[in-house]
Amino acid sequence: MKKVLIVDDEPHLRLLYETDLRRAGFETMTAANAEQGLEYVDTMHPDLIVLDIRMAGMDGVEALQRILDRDNTIPVILNTAYSSYRENFMTWAADAYVTKSSNTSELVETVRELLNEEMVQN
Amino acid sequence: MSSLQPFRKTLTIILAGGQGERLYPLTKDRSKPAVPFGGVYRIIDFTLSNCINSGLKRIYAFTQYKSFSLDKHLQRGWNIFSYEAGEFLYRIPPQHRIGMKWYEGTAHAVYHNIYLLEHNKPEQVFVLSGDHIYKMDYGAMLASHLAHDLPLTLGAAVVPREGAHHFGILEVDENWRVIGFAEKPARPRTVPGDPDHCLVNMGVYLFDTVSLVREVCHDARRTETSHDFGRDIIPPMVAKNQVCAYPFRDTKSEEPAYWRDIGTLDNYYQASMDLVSRRPQIDLYDRDWPIRAWRAPAPPAKSVHGVTEDGSMPGEMTDSIIGGGTIVSGAKVERSILGSFVKINSYGRVSESILMDGVQVGRRAELNRVIIDKNVIIPEGMVIGHDPDEDRAHFQVTEGGVIVIPKEMNLHE
Repeated sequence: MKKVLIVDDEPHLRLLYETDLRRAGFETMTAANAEQGLEYVDTMHPDLIVLDIRMAGMDGVEALQRILDRDNTIPVILNTAYSSYRENFMTWAADAYVTKSSNTSELVETVRELLNEEMVQN
Repeated sequence: MSSLQPFRKTLTIILAGGQGERLYPLTKDRSKPAVPFGGVYRIIDFTLSNCINSGLKRIYAFTQYKSFSLDKHLQRGWNIFSYEAGEFLYRIPPQHRIGMKWYEGTAHAVYHNIYLLEHNKPEQVFVLSGDHIYKMDYGAMLASHLAHDLPLTLGAAVVPREGAHHFGILEVDENWRVIGFAEKPARPRTVPGDPDHCLVNMGVYLFDTVSLVREVCHDARRTETSHDFGRDIIPPMVAKNQVCAYPFRDTKSEEPAYWRDIGTLDNYYQASMDLVSRRPQIDLYDRDWPIRAWRAPAPPAKSVHGVTEDGSMPGEMTDSIIGGGTIVSGAKVERSILGSFVKINSYGRVSESILMDGVQVGRRAELNRVIIDKNVIIPEGMVIGHDPDEDRAHFQVTEGGVIVIPKEMNLHE
């Protein structure tokens, strides 16, 4: 089963994403901040990361770069309520952007696409 | 829109971290762009002078290996920018902003510094090499780039077929769109109608910023890549028909202009000797396109009669470049480049050689086809460059037969 790491500082969103991604057939793990997320990247080796951008402490933009520096093959979905981040050059190495919503269908579909793509490549 | 507007929206990156292993021992204590050249210059002075002369005054120099010598040179010689007016020259070493890696290639250096592009939001970015000898108006290239409206314009030089395999070989259509690109092929394709020459990628790039960021980000996610512009970024862009070539020509004659990539010691030696020919292809005395350099305060060069117990001999210099503070005393110098504060003593003979700052040549010493790095003292009577076997026994000798003596080497023991 593919492992998805959710990095978000909002507990209710972590719970929502975790619930819906599990229902879609993925194993999940959650981190409440970027630092913890990076630790899990090193220790838990997730297959995909859903990454919030605006977080207290290290933000998702810097976390993205640090994740890819550790392993540039992990798919990363940036998940934010602010569309202006798409214009930020420092986010352009991400695999996808998904706007935050209580309806997780787009997020689940994007996770599925990226992991299926990975499986085809492998 | 002001005609200067495109310059204001253009940022320049100079890749100045080259290790220059094939230039060793000249790169023993310095990176390739910091290697002295032409008596008073460092190699990077040519690219920087081109920037200033072209109106590009927002420059980041990416440094990496052995950067102190280059840092010192840029600080002393290029502190000419008006920061209040928005001009700058900043040196950017690997800052380990996103990890502990060094720059793993030219594209990787740009990827690591995307925050600079995000901060400046330029419309175009020049990516230049700090180790080429040439005089080029980047403004004309920018105008060509804007007219062609493709994501990337690259400088294209015509070079002899021999040696062209060291470069990326270009194939272009009648509108200079690049339709074929082969990085360092064993058998380079020649220019149509001219079997003796090839069209090559100079490593002078002008990107639309959006394309540059997209490509280096894409490259950063690949597993099979050397993160190099020539090998990994340009070929896929050519395949997508996104690249235009800008032919590098002499603006007056329209003939291919002088351009040398200082890759090896023999390249370095030959480019240096080009300067002392009677009519050099690259004119250092052109007041319309000055090549700037940092120079230590020095008295004028001088030639004097040398007087010894055997009589006197004039100090003669022909077809040579002589730096400030250098004295040729009763010695003969032909087809050579002497840096600053060099001293050639009586009955010394120096031919077809490059002597960097502070070299002292003892009486009756003879030097032929030698590169001598800074502050070496050649003992009285020593002969170098006339007996290949003897030379190889004591010194590094290049494939082309040029002897190289490292900085501050002690020849008395």
